[in-house]
Amino acid sequence: MKELIEFMARAIVDNPDDVEVSEEDAGDHIVFHLKVAEEDMGRVIGKQGRIANAMRTLLKVAAIRRGARAILEIGEPAAGRQDPP
Amino acid sequence: MESVEVSAKTVDEAIDIALDELGLKRNQANIEILTPGKPGIFGLGGEQARVRVTALEEGTARPAAVEEESEDVPEGAVEVKDIHAEEVDLAVDYLRTLLELAGAEAEVSVRAPETAADGLGRATAVLDIEGEDLGLLIGRRGVTLSALQYLINVMVTRKLGSRVLVTVDVEHYHRRREDTLHGLAQRMADRVRNSRRPITLEPMPAAERRIIHLALVDDPYVMTGSVGVGDERKVVIRPRGDSQGGQRPQRPDFDGRGRPPGV
Repeated sequence: MKELIEFMARAIVDNPDDVEVSEEDAGDHIVFHLKVAEEDMGRVIGKQGRIANAMRTLLKVAAIRRGARAILEIGEPAAGRQDPP
Repeated sequence: MESVEVSAKTVDEAIDIALDELGLKRNQANIEILTPGKPGIFGLGGEQARVRVTALEEGTARPAAVEEESEDVPEGAVEVKDIHAEEVDLAVDYLRTLLELAGAEAEVSVRAPETAADGLGRATAVLDIEGEDLGLLIGRRGVTLSALQYLINVMVTRKLGSRVLVTVDVEHYHRRREDTLHGLAQRMADRVRNSRRPITLEPMPAAERRIIHLALVDDPYVMTGSVGVGDERKVVIRPRGDSQGGQRPQRPDFDGRGRPPGV
C-alpha cells in the first residue's frame, strides 16, 4: 500500500525525490502519511481535493485486497492535522 | 436546416472543419458521428472519420450544461491522437503498475473508442481491464473506475504535458452504464412531462451527467441543468418553459427556450 501511494504521488509531483510516505498502525486501521515538497501540495490534493480523493479510493482497493483498512493523510507529519492551504 | 458532412483523419478534426464551414460553435450545432474512423499504421489502411454537422435553429442552442460537464480530466481542450501515441503506451504502463500495486490480478488491453460511452471523439484509446473480481475496481456507481481513469489521465498529462485522454473500462462498464442512463433519462423525462414538476437525479460524475444532458437535448418537453458542487453535483430535469420549480406560474420575461438561471 505504501508503494502504491509513493508511485501515484511521484508521478504527479514536480519533486519526486521529496515524496515520503510513513506508516502508522492505529489498531484497527493503518494511517499513511504522505509528505511532499510544499510547492507540490496543490498537485497531490487537486481542485476540490479530487486527486487526493482518487488516491484514497485506490488505496481503499489495495486495503480491501489485503483485508485491511487504511487512511491517507496528506501534509506535514510533524505539523499534526493541520489542513493544507 | 443547414447541414454539412465532412471526412477527416479524426472525428474532432472533421467536426472542427464542419463547424468552420458553417461558421458555428459546438453548442450551436447538432453533431452526428457517421464513421468513427480508424487510425492506420504508418498512414496506411486507416479509415477516415465522417461526421454530419447540422445547424440548430436559432434559440435552440444546446444548453451550456452539456458543454460544461468536463470529463474526468484536467481542464482545457483535449487532443485525440493515433492509438499508437506515446501517451497511450504510458497510460498502459501506469495502469498496469497501479493495478499490480493495488493487488489486483488483471490484464490491460488497448482498443479504439467506438461509442460515446468509450469517449469517442474525446478519448484517444480505451484501456480495457480484464481479470478476477473486477467489481471492486468499478466500485459503487463506478467511483473506483472513475478515480482510476482520472488519476491515469492526470499522471500522463503531468509527465508528457499533452492533453490526451484515455478511457479506462472494465467489462464494458461504461457502455452498460450508458444504456442504463439513457433508460433513466427517458423515464424521468416522461415523469416530468406528465407531472410538470422538475426532478433532481442522484449525484453523478461529470461524464454520466453529460450522457443525461445529451440524451434529452432534443426533447421538446424537458430541459436539463445541474446543481450542486463536486461529488454532490446532480442533474435536474425541468419542464421546458419552467425557469424555477414548476409550482409557480411562468415568468413573463422567460421565453421558455433559454436555459434556466444557475445552470
